[in-house]
Amino acid sequence: MSEPIVVPLLRLRNVAKSFGDKVALSHVDLDVEAGEVHVICGENGAGKSTLMNILAGILQPDAGEMLLDGKSVRFSDPIEAGRVGIGMVHQHFKLVSSMSVAENLFLNRQPLRFGFISDRRVMRERAQTLIARYRFDLDPDASIAQLSVGQRQRVEILKALAFDARILILDEPTAVLTPPEVSELLGVIADLKARGRTILFITHKLKEVKAASDRVTVLRHGASVSTRPTAGLSESDIAHDMVGRDLATPRRRAGGIGSGAPKLSLSGLTMTNASGRRLLDEINLDIRAGEIVGVAGVDGNGQTELSEAVAGLQNARAGAVAIDGKDATNVSPHERRARGLGFIPEDRLDRGLCAGMTIAENVSTDNYAARKLTSCGLIRMAARDAFASEKIRQFDIRGARPGLPVGQLSGGNMQKVVIAREMEKAPNVLVVAQPTRGLDVGAAEFVHGQILAAADRGCAVLLISSELSEIFALSDRIAVMYRGAVLRVLDRTDATEHLVGLLMNGVDEAA
Amino acid sequence: MRDSLQTLSRSLLGPVGAIVAVMACGFLLVLAVSDEPVLAYRDLLFANFDSRSNFALFVNRMTPLLLIGLGVVFSFRAGVFNVGGEGQLYLGAIAATATALAFPHAPGPVLIGLSLIAGIAAGAAWGWIPGILKVRLAVNEVVTTLMLNFVALLLTEYLVINGMRDTTAYGAVSYVLAEQAWLPDIPGLPGATIGAVIALLLAPLAWVALFRTEWGANLRAAGANIRFAEAVGVRAARQVVIAMLISGGLSGLAGAFYVLGIGHRFEQNFSPGFGLIGMTVALLARVHPIGVVATAAFYALILNGAGYMQIDADVPRSLVNLLAGFLVLFMTARFRRGQAPA
Repeated sequence: MSEPIVVPLLRLRNVAKSFGDKVALSHVDLDVEAGEVHVICGENGAGKSTLMNILAGILQPDAGEMLLDGKSVRFSDPIEAGRVGIGMVHQHFKLVSSMSVAENLFLNRQPLRFGFISDRRVMRERAQTLIARYRFDLDPDASIAQLSVGQRQRVEILKALAFDARILILDEPTAVLTPPEVSELLGVIADLKARGRTILFITHKLKEVKAASDRVTVLRHGASVSTRPTAGLSESDIAHDMVGRDLATPRRRAGGIGSGAPKLSLSGLTMTNASGRRLLDEINLDIRAGEIVGVAGVDGNGQTELSEAVAGLQNARAGAVAIDGKDATNVSPHERRARGLGFIPEDRLDRGLCAGMTIAENVSTDNYAARKLTSCGLIRMAARDAFASEKIRQFDIRGARPGLPVGQLSGGNMQKVVIAREMEKAPNVLVVAQPTRGLDVGAAEFVHGQILAAADRGCAVLLISSELSEIFALSDRIAVMYRGAVLRVLDRTDATEHLVGLLMNGVDEAA
Repeated sequence: MRDSLQTLSRSLLGPVGAIVAVMACGFLLVLAVSDEPVLAYRDLLFANFDSRSNFALFVNRMTPLLLIGLGVVFSFRAGVFNVGGEGQLYLGAIAATATALAFPHAPGPVLIGLSLIAGIAAGAAWGWIPGILKVRLAVNEVVTTLMLNFVALLLTEYLVINGMRDTTAYGAVSYVLAEQAWLPDIPGLPGATIGAVIALLLAPLAWVALFRTEWGANLRAAGANIRFAEAVGVRAARQVVIAMLISGGLSGLAGAFYVLGIGHRFEQNFSPGFGLIGMTVALLARVHPIGVVATAAFYALILNGAGYMQIDADVPRSLVNLLAGFLVLFMTARFRRGQAPA
């Protein structure tokens, strides 16, 4: 009885929120202790963002109560939440890109001279002090447009801290960052924690949960299912809570991989931009039937160009692409697909799908003839709907019906539509770029299964990913790209994450 | 089925609501300027149906709007912001005129057929230019189609003056076509050209082509997201050019119908801005071919009705411009019910 009862800094009880008849949160309990790093994780659509928006005052709960320092609170807008010390760093940054760092930090609360003229000198000094205090590498005079994504995020964090946020909410902060930026961010979080700030961190990447947090709360279908200390938890424990079952780890069959003549072969493939810089630098790569070659690299080292050159969407300046032993260098995307190329592009809403068109239309595109969905030139609507329904069932596309615009699905389910369309023709050669970007573990597991199944059918797979774990889990060989060139192609058995990581940064120890 | 019914009712709700709101606003305006607001409004809406000749004039007014509107639907659905309907219309009219004048002794059906084909071809060619420029050289189609309107106006004027000008008439007016080249009237509706019937038949055809064929699906995919279309093997550039050919062809047909069915000769400035109104018609119909029938009819109704209103009730016919403005405003406004989930 001697110890005082510790009141959690922030406590949520029975919080619920619905949008119309869609229940986003059904029952959430959450205790956040002062000074801890608390991760909220869950699958896409589990209610993470809704919960954070409630904490930040952007949304108001339908039921339940929020206690801050043991006192019941209710925020009608983000400004009220900010006043009691809750700051949010959004996934999509809210910065004015033409203004400087200092101006963004003090937007709407600039220090004033004579009560109405903004005092740029004082503002700059305060910005400088703030940057120095947290040891961020930022120039207060730089305009946001000049900054990298990671730097912009730090401006966002500083903005929240300048409001004296005691609780800092980071909404999927690593989704937009490159691997080195992620580790820097984790350093920043550790530093903030050491200074006594409380951090709530949303993610669905299990590795980050392990690396960053003290405790983790898992949301599933709008309810909090567990809160546990991270120490002693394994990634698969968390994954189990997230999806409510155990996940199968992707498994590559050993031996006998890749036989016969190459299905896809690239020789000396080179692409330049308008100013003559080499975006692809003499790429040579052969992929045989049943083989998965993973392309690892930090984003922006030519992976996008590689996928588009193979798909025929950008013209190579030199070199050749051959599909199934036949030259396809100057062949249209249409013809390449007719020769058995499948393409799962890196951005589903850009090249993968037409968001405004229905699921049936999206999944049927390029499959009309093969599935006999037309007669006398007219689309057989019933047959097309049946085809779409079949794919929805087969690929477990949730929340879908044939007539629904595909843009209304969640990211993982959209990706399933892309995969359903591309797998329909049983491609000989499959180009897959960032197949699980933004997907939760359950959907990612499904996508991985599909890629492995394609390879098992004898498809040659070019897998491009910035997730090393994905590359290692699926690939038979690993090609590492750096500044448009393939530095090395390693057998997976010879590759280590350390070696690949060095190559990704241009360090080739063997050379 | 449930989906298509839902989309249909949802797509009808907006236009009908907007038209009702516009008419209500218009009535307030008429109330303010006229002693006989009810009469004025009756004229505006119903005088078109007072006599067969009034109705024939209404039908003739609707035909070019409907055809140009349908053409615009094709180009917009393919992602091409074609504002060149006026130029394509003039080219179609002049080509039809020239063809009909060139063979004054040919039998009627042949002459009409040739003239219509010439009109369609000329309009299509005028649409092809911006289409191919956009696809090959990435030239913005708004600029080219707009500019080509002026070129078309001056070119047709030049052609009329230097070759087919009727010197007994004032201005750039061609000779009257041989009578066997005139389009027949709609049976039972003297003065209303048969072109209206063809235009009405083309609307459902356009719908089928766009929404019930793979070709239409590919065209819409190219229009909605050209990067997607390329990636899934749609020959997007070809779709864009074809859409512009159709778009120009339909406007050209409108011009040919006008010459063969209504004017019986080419007259400079025969169009009171059909090209621009046709575009408004398509936009108000939310770029839907069936909706275009309704919006084209509505526009023709108030355009002609305003004339009767001015004569009977002394309400200036420019009221109709105000109503058109209101209509655009109400159609483009989006009334939001509640907040969408984040």
